[in-house]
Amino acid sequence: MSFENKWGQDERLFEPIEKTGWGFRATVAILLVLVAWGATSYFRQVKYGLGVTGMAEPVSWGLYITNFVFFIGISHAGTLISAILRLSQAEWRRPITRMAEVITVAVLFIGAGYVLIDLGRPDRMLNVLLYGRYQSPLLWDATSISAYLTASTIYLYLPLIPDIAILRDRARKWNFIFRILSLGWQGTAKQQKVLNRAIAIMAVLVIPIAVSVHTVVSFVFSMTLQPGWHSTIFGPYFVVGAIFSGIAVLIIVMVVFRKAFRLEAYLKEIHFSNLGLLLLVMSLLWFYFTFAEYLTGFYGHEPEEMSVFWDKFRGQYAPHFWAMVTFNFVLPIIILGNRRTRTILGTLIASITISIGMWMERFLIIVPTLMNPRLEYSRGFYFPTLTEWSITIAGFALFLLFYVVFTKFFPIISAWEVKEGREEGLEEVDHRVRSYLPDYGN
Amino acid sequence: MPRWGMAIDLNKCTACQACVIACKAENNIPFVGPEETAKGRDITWMELISVHEGHYPDAKIKFFPRPCFHCDKPPCTKVCPVHATYKNPEGLVAQIFQRCIGCRFCMAACPYTVKYFNWYKYDIPDEMKNHYNPDVFVRPAGVVEKCTMCHHRLQKARDKARVEGRSLKPGEYIPACAETCPSNAIIFGDLDNSSSEVARLSRSSRAFRLHEELGTEPKVFYLTEEDRHVI
Amino acid sequence: MKFPTGDKTVSIIQYVIYLLFCLFVAGIIGWIAHLILLSRELQDVPSASIGISIVAIPLFSTLIAIFSYVFWGMKRGKQ
Repeated sequence: MSFENKWGQDERLFEPIEKTGWGFRATVAILLVLVAWGATSYFRQVKYGLGVTGMAEPVSWGLYITNFVFFIGISHAGTLISAILRLSQAEWRRPITRMAEVITVAVLFIGAGYVLIDLGRPDRMLNVLLYGRYQSPLLWDATSISAYLTASTIYLYLPLIPDIAILRDRARKWNFIFRILSLGWQGTAKQQKVLNRAIAIMAVLVIPIAVSVHTVVSFVFSMTLQPGWHSTIFGPYFVVGAIFSGIAVLIIVMVVFRKAFRLEAYLKEIHFSNLGLLLLVMSLLWFYFTFAEYLTGFYGHEPEEMSVFWDKFRGQYAPHFWAMVTFNFVLPIIILGNRRTRTILGTLIASITISIGMWMERFLIIVPTLMNPRLEYSRGFYFPTLTEWSITIAGFALFLLFYVVFTKFFPIISAWEVKEGREEGLEEVDHRVRSYLPDYGN
Repeated sequence: MPRWGMAIDLNKCTACQACVIACKAENNIPFVGPEETAKGRDITWMELISVHEGHYPDAKIKFFPRPCFHCDKPPCTKVCPVHATYKNPEGLVAQIFQRCIGCRFCMAACPYTVKYFNWYKYDIPDEMKNHYNPDVFVRPAGVVEKCTMCHHRLQKARDKARVEGRSLKPGEYIPACAETCPSNAIIFGDLDNSSSEVARLSRSSRAFRLHEELGTEPKVFYLTEEDRHVI
Repeated sequence: MKFPTGDKTVSIIQYVIYLLFCLFVAGIIGWIAHLILLSRELQDVPSASIGISIVAIPLFSTLIAIFSYVFWGMKRGKQ
């Protein structure tokens, strides 16, 4: 067929959609098994009650809430990074934005799902709609997350329209659906103007929404009076951690799909190096916030604050705490601070340690405080059970499954934006740089 | 409108735990069994707390009974997403078991850790099933519960007064723990009625409340001659 | 896959999706309004509901406005 090579050098981007290899089938099968295993565990939990978890008095929140905070955190990868790069006209963003935006939409569902999994009475979920109270930070979360989910779905969808139209014109399977979703895109000047304007507005709009989401998630903890939680910097601290872990997960996803879809020509060393630098900055910022948070607690030396503090610094959670500092700060600084190690492999290793470290950070914010309540007489312990671990793993599997299925329907790199970069970006950047210089006219 | 409160005289308390048992019997509090207790899931609306201090030979142990403090500014009701815990007009912090979705936010927000969760559907032994208190709701799995100050007793007493065409008399409504206490260490009544014993005790120089600095304004006062800081 | 793929069917489904999205946003705004009324009825901190609605309702309206702009812009921009 003649149109097949219309996309010439970008043909590779459509390959995963049109050819289904054993790799795809095997991945989906494995992920489905993991998700099914998690679902079985969850049904067991619904049947018998939350007693099947390791939670008790006073540690009444555990892995589920940790996962909730973590997943909502990595949702910042996407939309926020993509929006910032778009607004700052960073030309190297073109192959990255779509990958980032998909992360957001996928993990928001899963993150919000963990709150529902954590409910003792999931059958009464609708009470939140019927009798919700806006004084409760949980309702702030519900509102903010649904706004973010709506906004980031639109923000994922808009730049997808021209690519959907390409798929429609290639006339393969699912043509009918692509015809619907492409909204009649023909690439006319007027349509392009509308789309570009809408994308620009959305890019501005999603940034404050994204910031609000993790701020509000932190409010679940900081609005209480509990030692270690009741802190004014929790909002920005959580947002910084969210962007930090988000970039790390984005890099991991990029490495995986670069390998799986052989996208080496699109995702180059420079992309990883640039994101690595961003990760380095976030690591420093994370350390700054962590330092400020713990030093304030330590200096004030309130006894309740200190029992949480010592539990983390030299108590039962010391191994976790120091591992977290190593994973989030020491190792990334060493790897990313050095140009020779800031390679694809280097950024991948740093991203993996950061993902683990940030998950531990969420855990260490939630559990030690609950374990050391204000009244010294109630002390507890917390060992997550197999059910909790299964459902945690299932969450990660579901995220990957969502991602893999997405790549089956849509190109994971924005084909039209890469083309636009090739055809217009070069000239535009040339012009832009000229406009910065004194020797050229306006 | 009365403002119900309690005064617990720690100098009178003998740590006999009669209040704990009375509370369990009165409020259909389930037996969670030894395994669940070992996990830290036992439910005791009224709990006798022991505080250990110092080391031998200067070791000391102190006891105090701990119900829900029914704070005037409760941090738990603020965070409830569905109005399942709220402060009623008479100052009692109530739980609506049928409304609760089991998110456990109130447990995380309570600075006194007085809230309990039904991790499983807990039961009482079969031999005791005939002794269920018909006035108190038996809680299903997955909801939070805590001391209600035997609110059902208030409803009963008030109904009785209404039938007899009079207003509620002082002493007509008393929670099970206060009624049972053999040493009369638990005094219950209306804090706003300045002539009531509980109001008088709450003004005593021996009176203090736990973590007053938090501004939660608990309505349970402890009375002691000793160093009150440790509790 | 063979579907009855007339342009008319496609465009009807597009309108349905658009309407569903409008309904979704209207549902959220209605929900927020319901919570304001509920908090007033129970005298349960209505200021919190009103405060949040001041941000949330315009935000959701903006989102639907942007989506409508694209939806109708695409239709009008066709050759």
